Amino acid sequence: MRSQDEIVAARNADWRELENLVSRAEALHHLDGPSISRAAALYRALSGDLVLCRARCTPDLVAYLDNLAGRAHSALYGAEPFRIPAFWSLLTRDFPRALRKNASFFALSSALFLIPCAIGIVLALFVPDAASQILPRSMLDGMADMYSKGFNEGRSEGTDSAMAGFYVNNNVGIAFRCFATGIFFGLGSVFFLIYNGLSIGMVTGWVTAAGFGRNIGTFMCGHGPFELTAILIAGAAGLRMGYSLVVTRGRTRLGSLRESAPDIVRLVVGAAVMLLIAAGIEGFWSPSGAPAPVKWSVAALFSVLVTAYFLFAGRERGRAR
Amino acid sequence: MAEPARRLQPIDTTAEIETPEHVRFHYPVAGPARRVVAWVLDLLIRGAVLLVFGIFALMGGFAIGDAVSELSSGLLLVIYFLLEWLYYTLWEVAWNGRTPGKRALDLRVVSVDGHPLRIGDSFLRNLLRAADFLPFGYTVGLVAMARDSRFRRLGDMVAGTMVIVEERRAVASTLRINPPPTPKELSSLPQRLPLSGDELEAIELFLRRKEGLGPAREEELAAMVAPIFASRMGIRNKDSARLLALLHARASERRRPL
Repeated sequence: MRSQDEIVAARNADWRELENLVSRAEALHHLDGPSISRAAALYRALSGDLVLCRARCTPDLVAYLDNLAGRAHSALYGAEPFRIPAFWSLLTRDFPRALRKNASFFALSSALFLIPCAIGIVLALFVPDAASQILPRSMLDGMADMYSKGFNEGRSEGTDSAMAGFYVNNNVGIAFRCFATGIFFGLGSVFFLIYNGLSIGMVTGWVTAAGFGRNIGTFMCGHGPFELTAILIAGAAGLRMGYSLVVTRGRTRLGSLRESAPDIVRLVVGAAVMLLIAAGIEGFWSPSGAPAPVKWSVAALFSVLVTAYFLFAGRERGRAR
Repeated sequence: MAEPARRLQPIDTTAEIETPEHVRFHYPVAGPARRVVAWVLDLLIRGAVLLVFGIFALMGGFAIGDAVSELSSGLLLVIYFLLEWLYYTLWEVAWNGRTPGKRALDLRVVSVDGHPLRIGDSFLRNLLRAADFLPFGYTVGLVAMARDSRFRRLGDMVAGTMVIVEERRAVASTLRINPPPTPKELSSLPQRLPLSGDELEAIELFLRRKEGLGPAREEELAAMVAPIFASRMGIRNKDSARLLALLHARASERRRPL
């Protein structure tokens, strides 16, 4: 039986070599071929040493070897790199599939958003006092003022990009919050969907009541198909997350949550991409001086495209497997 | 007798990983203090990037005119957005679970079963910051971490990840007996020690821990076994700790010629 000092004396050179290889690069695939196979061999030898030392040696040596094994493991099995094909198949196949699979959550989040939205419009149009109780009047008037000018002359390039930047932040923030707060058993998603639906509806109604309905309509119709859908999808992902925490089907809550994680990731990443598209449209197309009929037809085209995408993208051709 | 105790998981902030090759090793899990420092570092870096771009935008606005200043303020907002939602994921994917702040503090994000981080999981755990941050300053996240044996915040739980410490450590030093055993001391011991392997191992573990013990504690521990060994060998036990050191010296000297 060898003592600890003898083990260290015999193996230390290998450990140091592995340590050097591991600290030379963040991931081993940045190294040359011989170094990689050498590192793999050293790692395997180290795992043997670890078993031996755990039985015989002092905690500090075991801790050293544990640490080295951990670092070598991280280096050998680097993080999954970003791959365009994988991302592409997510967008063309997995995202629409995931949404179809979770259609009921999408329907629920749509209801939670659109019903308050309709209530908001009605309130702002017919009961303005109630509307100004809910949202501050100064804000509502400010919005009406903003849309009063219309977009016939368009805005300058610079304003466009400033607005695009603003919308990216605002809407992505809304969508991601709708999603993330779903962790609180879905309640956060419910709250944010209702809240945002109500305020968007109310603003639209108020601006319309002030007589600028045409302006806000032609403005919102361009990016709406992407942006509102993306917010609804993010909300659906949040609801899915909350649902998996409540209905666990015999798993632990965490296990049930992990089970649903792949779908949730697909939905949220897809929603994020849609929000980016929406932001581009919102910053540069929606405020442009194009005549209203053109904008409405483009909006109709966008809606058809988005709907067709979610209905048909990623379906198996025929029944063939 | 000691077997069942050994199989129990120690009450400690370590996570045991079993790799596909059936290698088992332990990661120390990172606690809130370290992670807060790493977070502050990342926050400072993000702030610095934004500041640099802000200064450029401002100068551009003054030098060329309003159109540029609006263009660049739009750009600035986009950069702010990227830093807010993608900063962590981009670094964690590029650096195998590390951001600059985590790297500075030797932290790494791995999945709970030890696999490396996947992009989707990284995105998920960082999106969930919006929930962990509530109502302010990561309160929810800290409470979740305090409740969890692996210090996971909500984002980690959803993404199936944990944050581990990868501090570099030094190899254990060789054991030296101070002062070195004299031949006279050794001659009082029998040539063949009537000690089992387990007992020799226990002696070695004790000698390695000696540096970290106070003299009284050292004596107390040594006195628990030294008299037993001494009576077994029929020798006198003057100084328990010294006797154990001598036994270890004799055992390793007998092994060396092999």
